[in-house]
Amino acid sequence: MKEQVRPRYVRGKKTLKHISKWEETLTALMNPEGKPEALDGILVLDVSYANFAGIIAASLLAELGAETIKVEPPKGDPARFMSPYGLTVGDVGVPFLMEGRNKYYITLDLKDEKGRENFKKLATKADILIETFTPGFMDQLGIGYRQLSKINPGLIYVAISPYGHYTLQAKELSRIPDSDLVAQAASGLPALIGELPDSPEPYNWPTRAGFWASWYISGVAAAMGALLALYYRQITGEGQMVDVATFDAFSACVGFPVTMGFVWGKPRPRYGPLDYGLCPYGFFKCKDGYVAIAAFRDQDFRAILKIFNRWDLEEDWRYLFDRITDDVSKAKELNREIENIVAMYTCDEIIRKFSEYARKSMRSKLSGGGLPVTAKMLTPKEVLKENHWYLRKTFVEVNDSKYGKFVVPICGKLSETPPRIKWVSATIGKDNEYVYRKYGLEK
Amino acid sequence: MQEDYFSFTNRLFDPSKIYEKPEVLKGIRVLDISHMIYGPNTAKILAQFGAEVIKVELPFYGDYWRTATYWGKFWKHSNPLWHFINHSKYFITIDVKKPKGRELILKLAKISDVFIENFAPGTVEAWGIGYSQVSKINPKIIYVSLSTFGQFGPLKFQPGWDLIAQGVSGWMSVTGYPEIDSHYKIPDYLGDFYPSHFAVLLILAALFYRQKTGKGQYIDLSQAEVLMRSLYHFTYETVTGKELGRTGNFDPTMVPSGIFKTSDGKFIALAIATDEQFEAFCKAMGRVDLFKNDRFRNVLSRLKPENAKELCEITKELISSKTAFEIIDLAKKYGFSASEVMDDVKICNDEWRRQRGSVVHFKDEMYGEFVLAGPIVMLSKTPGRIKWLSRPLGYHNRYVFMKLLGLSEREIKQLEKEGVIGYWDNRVGLKPPIGYDIEKDPVFNYKIDKEREKL
Repeated sequence: MKEQVRPRYVRGKKTLKHISKWEETLTALMNPEGKPEALDGILVLDVSYANFAGIIAASLLAELGAETIKVEPPKGDPARFMSPYGLTVGDVGVPFLMEGRNKYYITLDLKDEKGRENFKKLATKADILIETFTPGFMDQLGIGYRQLSKINPGLIYVAISPYGHYTLQAKELSRIPDSDLVAQAASGLPALIGELPDSPEPYNWPTRAGFWASWYISGVAAAMGALLALYYRQITGEGQMVDVATFDAFSACVGFPVTMGFVWGKPRPRYGPLDYGLCPYGFFKCKDGYVAIAAFRDQDFRAILKIFNRWDLEEDWRYLFDRITDDVSKAKELNREIENIVAMYTCDEIIRKFSEYARKSMRSKLSGGGLPVTAKMLTPKEVLKENHWYLRKTFVEVNDSKYGKFVVPICGKLSETPPRIKWVSATIGKDNEYVYRKYGLEK
Repeated sequence: MQEDYFSFTNRLFDPSKIYEKPEVLKGIRVLDISHMIYGPNTAKILAQFGAEVIKVELPFYGDYWRTATYWGKFWKHSNPLWHFINHSKYFITIDVKKPKGRELILKLAKISDVFIENFAPGTVEAWGIGYSQVSKINPKIIYVSLSTFGQFGPLKFQPGWDLIAQGVSGWMSVTGYPEIDSHYKIPDYLGDFYPSHFAVLLILAALFYRQKTGKGQYIDLSQAEVLMRSLYHFTYETVTGKELGRTGNFDPTMVPSGIFKTSDGKFIALAIATDEQFEAFCKAMGRVDLFKNDRFRNVLSRLKPENAKELCEITKELISSKTAFEIIDLAKKYGFSASEVMDDVKICNDEWRRQRGSVVHFKDEMYGEFVLAGPIVMLSKTPGRIKWLSRPLGYHNRYVFMKLLGLSEREIKQLEKEGVIGYWDNRVGLKPPIGYDIEKDPVFNYKIDKEREKL
């Protein structure tokens, strides 16, 4: 069990008592069982095709309680097979299964007249529609925003595509399909990851984030846009079109690249394990893994020097402006010092030293107020073993007769309307009968 | 004849009409006492879509991010990296630890709809402005507590931010190259920005529910959990018992995929997701034989490690024989996913982004022209917008306290004297820009009788 660091203000017995009582209330608040759902009664149609941004957006709305129907062509969505090294569980890939929460699956051929009629029937009843086709494809079939908004003025039409559904450039590039890696590159993420320019190739090349960064950002943005529009509809009764460009995901999410380009006028080089802001700030290799060493303020940096008994470094790196990384060779020098120090200890030793110091520092008015922070870098396998997440129910265990045993993550604790996973499924056309009957569709 | 689709959508999303359209969150008041990025950016997104966001900072010190610029560079006495996290807000100062300060916060919380904080768990409760206290005076409030590890659980007191969250969630361990011993952060604090979008999603769900039922609620969002939500690696791990690890620039869910160098020395990202796209790619590259090859024709067989490796090698060769322009041209014609790797300057000057409104050239009354990122999602009827850039510390004090809380001139003077509220103390990042005459500023020197005159 890790030792806990209490913040400075949590000192008196009275406060502690209040906090433990508050915590009890909190834990009770966060149990989803039997509670209402925020989006109860909202119908979401997800016609995304070979694109996880749409699938993720639909999942998020489904977690919040919307009735979500995934509409697939008879052969199924190609996203089913986007899986690491082609690994399939039952008949689907891992990511598709993981996002298959609280969804109904139907098949419907949009290229067929009858399929389109059925789709229109569904769209008349729907509140939110999510699509990821080439801009103009749905419009050509007569089921785009232009046509559907006439038969259902309250419809919120969420379009996800690489370059969006408007502007001249988007029209010109509209045939380029979406993928996470290319969306990362087009929005400026890989340009900032990788070794320093003077390192050997290809490690100094632009490097992708090792997960679906762009698709998840775009998925959250699309769900957010849908809820903004839903809120507006609640007041005015009007639907609208919501447009997300996945090739803009990273830069629009963080905002840094745009302003950096304007103020500095030149692109940032890749900085390897260094940070653009301060040194030391990052994960350093210790005897048995990697630990975070991060010093935001001067007092934190001094605390780190005291902990490691390296006060001799203080004179050279005394001020914050000594430690900003505008001069890479200087930053590398300090980084190397820290690397050498950290390499002499194990993870647990460092964590213990830091928390001992923090506890003393908090109680003392004379120690300069430094609060050194550390944590061990974990792989997904190690994360699963962490008791903290188990108690918070971050991972839901699923035991399915078809797909076997696996876990899926969920996040966000709401006291009144918590998001939840009611079931996980991915079987193609599984709910055809139920949905076709419920909404009076023709077979 | 039917109008062309793009001319219809260009009209629908016309950027020149943005400021004439309604704001979706008009009338929603957000009290934002958070600092750094995670909390302030959550509030900023709400402000973008029309909420009235009141940002509370500590007198004389301000938000720590006000001075945290890259490489020591400031822009007109302000941190350029602060504006896009804090535009369109009202800036006030309150020292929460003073009893009068606490009272002010509670008064504001009483008339607010959303309350955002991101201090260490338990801190706001100890200060007397936590959910248990605020919900007593305003049961309809949506109270949002943002933190790295969440409000309960054994690690809750562990301090943290972006870097820590990236480390403990697994984000860092899956990024980089398997052959070398180097781990990279995801840059630009994505571990703060991405969860802040998630927080907005939850706040909107809570607002929607409140509109229906009149009930407020408490939201506890751990940023590390949001990062975990974006990894399929946990499911992969429990299905196979194996770790996926790092795969460099190869996305193991798509073959071929990677970042490749072109004949003119540029970097191209390319990923082929479906059989359809693979056929297009093979035709474009003049290698139809690849698509006819049984090992590569089907997506699942393409994804097998040995086939994937071979195909990525072939792709590397193919790309290195063409220029970046040629490849993008082919991608446009044939329809496969490819783009040049964009950097800061290319993104800032991108014509497409400017037309779209995701790069905004904004003229501010105080700071002049500035370029910053626009909304991440575009709404046709209620688009997000930038109303003003950030303001000096305590700039809206008089405006907010007089107009919203009805404080008198004398009461404000008294609060200033006691240090409950305060101003910038002549520090860079906190003070007004060079050459700006703050004494003549009507908002900063807001007087209540002026308002009466207008009426």
